[in-house]
Amino acid sequence: MLSRVAENLYWMSRSIERADNLARLVMAHQNELLDATSALRGEFAWHPLLEVTSMGDENSSEDVVTYMVSSKDNPDSIINCIQLARENARAVRDQISEEMWLELNAVWLDLKQIPEADPDRHSKICEMAVRSALQFRGIENSSLPRTDVWAFVQLGGYLERADKTSRIVDLPHFLPTHEVAAAWNTMLRACSATAEHRHRYGGEVDAASASTLLLFSTTFPRSVRFCVRMIDELLHQISGTSAGEYLNEAERATGALLARLNFSGVEEIGAMGLHEYVDSIQIDLNRIGYEIMERYFLLRKDAPPASAEDYVNSRMQAQASMQQQQQQQQQ
Amino acid sequence: MSGAVKEQFENYAVEGFFDEAFSREDSKCRPMYAEAVKYFSGLSDERMKSSLRSLERTFLKQGVTFTVYSDGQGTERIFPFDPFPRIIPADEWSMIDRGLRQRIKALNLFLKDIYSDRRILKEKIMPEELVKTSKHNRSELAGVKLPHDTYIHICGTDLIRDNDGRYCVLEDNGRCPSGVSYMLENRLAMKRTFPDLYRQLNVERVADYPRELLRMLRSVSPRQQDTPVCVLLTPGQYNSAYFEHTFLAQQMGIEIVEGRDLIVENERVYMHTTRGLVQVDVIYRRIDDDFLDPRFFRRDSTLGVPDLVKAYRAGNVTLVNAIGTGVADDKATYAYVPDMIRFYLSEEPILPNIETFLGGRPDELTYMIENMANLVVKAVDEAGGYGMLIGPAATSEEVADFRDKVKANPRGYIAQPVISLSRHPTFCDGDLEGRHIDLRPFVLTGEDTVVVPGGLTRVALRKGSLVVNSSQGGGSKDTWVLREAATPTEA
Repeated sequence: MLSRVAENLYWMSRSIERADNLARLVMAHQNELLDATSALRGEFAWHPLLEVTSMGDENSSEDVVTYMVSSKDNPDSIINCIQLARENARAVRDQISEEMWLELNAVWLDLKQIPEADPDRHSKICEMAVRSALQFRGIENSSLPRTDVWAFVQLGGYLERADKTSRIVDLPHFLPTHEVAAAWNTMLRACSATAEHRHRYGGEVDAASASTLLLFSTTFPRSVRFCVRMIDELLHQISGTSAGEYLNEAERATGALLARLNFSGVEEIGAMGLHEYVDSIQIDLNRIGYEIMERYFLLRKDAPPASAEDYVNSRMQAQASMQQQQQQQQQ
Repeated sequence: MSGAVKEQFENYAVEGFFDEAFSREDSKCRPMYAEAVKYFSGLSDERMKSSLRSLERTFLKQGVTFTVYSDGQGTERIFPFDPFPRIIPADEWSMIDRGLRQRIKALNLFLKDIYSDRRILKEKIMPEELVKTSKHNRSELAGVKLPHDTYIHICGTDLIRDNDGRYCVLEDNGRCPSGVSYMLENRLAMKRTFPDLYRQLNVERVADYPRELLRMLRSVSPRQQDTPVCVLLTPGQYNSAYFEHTFLAQQMGIEIVEGRDLIVENERVYMHTTRGLVQVDVIYRRIDDDFLDPRFFRRDSTLGVPDLVKAYRAGNVTLVNAIGTGVADDKATYAYVPDMIRFYLSEEPILPNIETFLGGRPDELTYMIENMANLVVKAVDEAGGYGMLIGPAATSEEVADFRDKVKANPRGYIAQPVISLSRHPTFCDGDLEGRHIDLRPFVLTGEDTVVVPGGLTRVALRKGSLVVNSSQGGGSKDTWVLREAATPTEA
């Protein structure tokens, strides 16, 4: 497969997952806010979300929800993520199934139909983003052959999901101590984990059970450990290496992180604290993303991005000059 | 409600033009159109409307769109489509087929000649100056040996019919002609929407085009191995023909690449894949010469591949079409194609040119200047309906403006009499009216030449307009070439 095609598939999938997770988080937080005490409701009610998602522009005049959901200026807003996913999909239309393209095209067209003045605009966008992501994953599951196309789509999705779940687990860190309990519910709800938590732990939600489920569950599909295990399998599928061995740095970094999650999670949290632990997980995930890029996407003539963090925020977007030249060719 | 379409046919007016479906003299339906006219007149108003809706849905769903940039937003639009097919009988097509083969043969011989021996210039059949000054002349690449001596592998010749119904060549599009995906999609949509009519007529297949294209691409590979690696080089997803690029690549099962996917090492071209570098043999490129290689042509090109020309020169990769075909495409060169046919093939042209006056010839320049208001004037190196003046439709300022341009650069312009173009019945906003059309058949040449029986019939949808380009209000129709009536050997 062409490296560029693989990268387009990967970013298509990452962008869908990014929009989905952000939408879930916004809706869950909104729900918790309605029950919150007045202390939390004030001006800073939404700021913890900016902190956990590492978004935010001090100079933006938009309110926080607009900035996260529908801002044109925020490259990570839900709307921009979906547009980016569609552009990436369009560039590889000949590789994905017709239905995958139709779904992304449809949600993009639907989003444009919601009037700016609609008082429910934000919740509509969030609901659409979540529903569309579910549909997209379903279509992909039932229409894509299990080739490298599939593997790179899954890879992007799981890497983004692992990152976002780890960030959601960090939400309590950014709340005042007496409000932390509310965040546990938000965390579970944002990851659709409320029912699973109830099955496993009964009615009581506390920090330990909620974060254990979201970080270390081997069966829950949004847990960090589950996602990293999938990444490990997918990388081995792509390279053809047997499980437990590694052929490239991406596989090595993934194996190392998986071992941390498998064998030493609770001890590490005890030693360094949850916030620092989650931070270190994110650094490892960024490393994996960078190594995947270097192994599979990077073209020989291009200079690599300066750091793993830079690559997480990079975009598959044509520069303006390129667009202009692309438009000219026609007879 | 029933019967409304029938009325539209009864009210249809030929209005003194050459009409494809009805004779000018007595408005009688031409024989090859008898069944189609009977079929459409028999449709109820409702059936017609629902058919039109279903056609539109088909195109939208398939994403058969092109992108318009004039509104600053890059809107994707459907190419307007008229369901009344253009029908060409077998004997007419056989003449067109022979004419196109003759012409492509002469054009390829011409290109080989001017990039090697230059006989046609030495023998003064064509002025050397004209070739030398052609914007698309690439004499720096003279002497490159091409597989099967083919320069124009894919040609999209524009044909029109004049007021007497004579087929003439309007342009030879020998650089990167587009539109073939519309030919294929139009056919699919027609077969889906009007299967009963399609079945009644014995229509030649066009669906083999992608297979023939792939066969041609493989036949010009420099490496003779079992499966040469062929790719389609696109400018990218912001190009208005991007749909066509993905469509063709998908139909042929080859990779669609952008310039940045390719790299040249040791005068060989490779593509970057997730499993390393893979050598490429044939590039069906949909970008202009100027953008191919920033080290050789335009340095600001972001679409090309550095050192691609080196690999091409070394004979390690074939470009389809070859570099430098634009000189045959020059509208002043066009005037000499009949002479080329006589010179290289010792034959008379089967498909005539349109009478053409060259700014580069002093007496013709004078005629051009004096009669500009009655002529069509075209810049020699433009395409897509740009850089053109239709004298009778222009204001006196526009004419004066063009006159200055021609005087300043006589070599850069040609003039032709206004040809009215044949008309075809077309469903326009609930009415049937005559609209001007042309025809772009597609000719493939590698080891041998294949002419696809059909093509893209473009329609000038604006009433009275002679401009069929999609960028300027044009639409299209399916083109049905009828098979030779089978000699009835059995019932």
